[in-house]
Amino acid sequence: MFSTTLKKRAKADSILNKSIIILVILAFGSFLILFFYAPLSKIFQFAFSDGNQFTFSFIIETITDPLNISFLLFTFAQALLSMLICLILGIPAGYFFAKYDFRGKKLLLSLMTIPFVLPAIVVLLGFIVTYGESGWVNSIWTGLTGIDSPIIEIFGTFEGILIAHVFYNLSVIIRMSIPAWKSVDTEQINVAKSLGASNWLILRKIIFPQIVNYLVSAALLVFVYTFNSFAIVLYLGEIKFQTLEVRIYKLMKASLDFNGGATLALIQLILNTAIIILYLFFESRTRQMAEGKESIFKSEKISLSKKNWKKNINISFFILFILALMIFTFSPIVAIVLESFQPYADGISPFWGYQQLFSNEYMPLLGNSPLRLLLNTLLFASLTTILTLILSVLLVFVLRNRYQSLKKYKISFSENFVSYIIILPMATSSITLAIGMFLLFNNSIIYLEFVWVFIVLTHVLISIPFASRSILSAYNRIDIEMLNVASTLGASRFRIFAKIELPYIYRGIIVGGIFAFAISLGEFAATNFLVRGEYGTLSIGISKLIKTQTLQLPATMASILVIITIICFLVIQKFGDIELKV
Amino acid sequence: MAKLSMKKISMKYEKKLILEDLDLEIKHGELLVLLGESGCGKTTLLKIVAGIIQPEQGTIYVNDTEISNLSPQVRQIGYVPQAQVLFPHMKVKQNITFGLEARKLTKETIEEKINWIADLVEISDLLDRYPRELSGGQKQRVALARAMAIEPHLLLLDEPLSSIDATGREALALTIRRIQKETSTTTLYVTHNGDEARLISDRVAVIYDGKIQQVGKVLDVEQHPKNYLIAKILGSPNIWPILYTKKKEKTKLFTSICDIPLQGEISSKITGVKIPPSIISISKDRIEDPNLVVLKCYVKTVIEKSENEYRLILDLKDNPSEYIKVDCSRSEYEKNLNENNEINIYFSPLEVILL
Repeated sequence: MFSTTLKKRAKADSILNKSIIILVILAFGSFLILFFYAPLSKIFQFAFSDGNQFTFSFIIETITDPLNISFLLFTFAQALLSMLICLILGIPAGYFFAKYDFRGKKLLLSLMTIPFVLPAIVVLLGFIVTYGESGWVNSIWTGLTGIDSPIIEIFGTFEGILIAHVFYNLSVIIRMSIPAWKSVDTEQINVAKSLGASNWLILRKIIFPQIVNYLVSAALLVFVYTFNSFAIVLYLGEIKFQTLEVRIYKLMKASLDFNGGATLALIQLILNTAIIILYLFFESRTRQMAEGKESIFKSEKISLSKKNWKKNINISFFILFILALMIFTFSPIVAIVLESFQPYADGISPFWGYQQLFSNEYMPLLGNSPLRLLLNTLLFASLTTILTLILSVLLVFVLRNRYQSLKKYKISFSENFVSYIIILPMATSSITLAIGMFLLFNNSIIYLEFVWVFIVLTHVLISIPFASRSILSAYNRIDIEMLNVASTLGASRFRIFAKIELPYIYRGIIVGGIFAFAISLGEFAATNFLVRGEYGTLSIGISKLIKTQTLQLPATMASILVIITIICFLVIQKFGDIELKV
Repeated sequence: MAKLSMKKISMKYEKKLILEDLDLEIKHGELLVLLGESGCGKTTLLKIVAGIIQPEQGTIYVNDTEISNLSPQVRQIGYVPQAQVLFPHMKVKQNITFGLEARKLTKETIEEKINWIADLVEISDLLDRYPRELSGGQKQRVALARAMAIEPHLLLLDEPLSSIDATGREALALTIRRIQKETSTTTLYVTHNGDEARLISDRVAVIYDGKIQQVGKVLDVEQHPKNYLIAKILGSPNIWPILYTKKKEKTKLFTSICDIPLQGEISSKITGVKIPPSIISISKDRIEDPNLVVLKCYVKTVIEKSENEYRLILDLKDNPSEYIKVDCSRSEYEKNLNENNEINIYFSPLEVILL
């Protein structure tokens, strides 16, 4: 009485499903083992062995070294302060974007997020052009007041690093606090008011408990990013200020102290893992709170009222505040583009930088022509995107394998296994990834001849958490019951994927892919550590020119990166939302 | 036409047993309503039959073929989950053809079947719409059509009326009943609402504590519920649990509204009492008869069942947190209500149904 075709197909399905899981575990597992866990174990080896035997001496040396301690304290202090400033500025801005609706809001939000995915080296250049000694702000200051000493100093100062970090991460808080504010139903506030509660009581008892998890997880994310900051501190911090990331890099590259570098990398990894676990905890609490909540929040139009002058002042203040943030966000980006047309000397064409792209004049310094650097950049980014997407889609398939997890209502072993083995790569800094690769493979032929393979693999490791996050969040919107119904209707595994799952996740795949592309496009720390010979990227090229007197050429190269990043963002905006979370 | 049997089904969820050695049989072409409170495992059982969840133990047969190990694709069971879950990116027509296309039918056959099912479920004018353009009732019809299009051996409906507004419920329930009868589809219908069972079931099965506690025609179960809990789940009026029993010279049952003296000994355990609204009489005068149970009440609400039939909902004077329902005629009511809105009610304990 049961169709044999259906029976046969069900059997094939079950085999297909099992093979996918085995394939993922094999592909993903071996990828991680080969390019993450094995390199990591190499770091362990350097931290705990003097070449012959096991020793704690490197660990003890590292943690008692006063220089290391002071850099560790600095790393914490700057991350904490950057985080606090981002919170102070970002939470009200998030409130504004949650509460008010206006034309171009989505575009504005997307544009304000650009700094976050802008290559670090581009941000740095933007800062130098805008706030540097002979930058725009200081020139205007001198022009207006006649005072020669600059108003802002970014090199070798604590505030320079803070401003850059706030610029970089502010959008994380803004974007993540919007859903926080939106999760508070306005009716609750109305009810509380009708019960006679004061604004302060409402904030404390009604609003705060509902938004605190969102804000803590956003804050932890900013903390992680700034804790692992590299390019900005490497250049702005000069010798005075170093994050652990910079310190490790200098130990490895400048002092060739591999044992010291590996030990410090290990300590950094432990700290990072602790923060990431804390973050995942708050993130899952946020998700639990959001579950089952219907979005009833309604934004209102910005309008001035004739009677309520208090409200008018409020709104005007908010608009001014947002305008100030916009100027802060966009000026370094605009400055770069303008600088690329600013002749570095008399008689030079405004298009000199763009003409230089096709010349070999700077080849001795850059290792390759600017055009080849651009091509390298695009090629690495494309390869990274393809590899990241393949691995991420497979990963999501195991993490959300209905066939495995729904049976008996238990989380399957494969799902558990996979979700644990990816925590560590998430917590590993770019420099650590690069060091691991370097220590394990630096004598291999592939490393010596085709270092780009390792550059791409590192970019893939950095991108996977972001990409799989985008795909997962799209996948989570699928109602499992829908897939259940589809299978009771006789649809095969493949058909369910093609007809139901794919239409839901393809936007997530596109967004994740672009994210991977953008990350690879501007990745600096790991690339800079690994790069050899002609395999440089635009970011590396810019970093080599950043301390020269002619900012026109690096600004040109940075402008190209800015334009590609903006295009990526416009595409993302068309296809879905940006996931800043890891 | 098919017969469904479940034998010794057990299911744990987070170490808690939600179904325990459950047995149930549904006859050819029968509509059986599975009635139980929320969280009692009804939906789980439905999913087990559909093959979406694997039970810890137990077997399921369709006719005499065991299906326990078949995947949901093969079982050919129509499943309509509580929230309907239409495929939102497909039009109604594509939603319905989804299951047919999995069966490699010719285009003409598919077209024929769509026309047949759309007529049957009365959704011919909705075929070109997207789910978001449908009302709750329409969505439920489409979900029903989608499940019925594959001509299932068995139809599973999970609270099909729960998301429908009150006015459309009866009509939809009757549509479901009509389609089920016309196609003689054996159907398992899950709900927590006793009225739905009264409206359309052939038989009703009451579930709690992971087991089927009583199966039968609604009227039979309603008149002779095995215990207080079953009567409560069915939503019978005027039932109370027994707080304790006193056995001196005469056995006396204590409930939260009154004490009920019994004649003679009781053999089985009594869990509750049912005082049918029809056995209760009203009076404005004091009643002094030791053989009757008398209670003083206030009138809370009067529901006009017909021109001459009233149902009174009365608060107890001694215990205002309890209320009791009484059926009477209009003239009786008007005659017996005093100026303080007070009324006396009485009934013979012999007529009280012991649960």
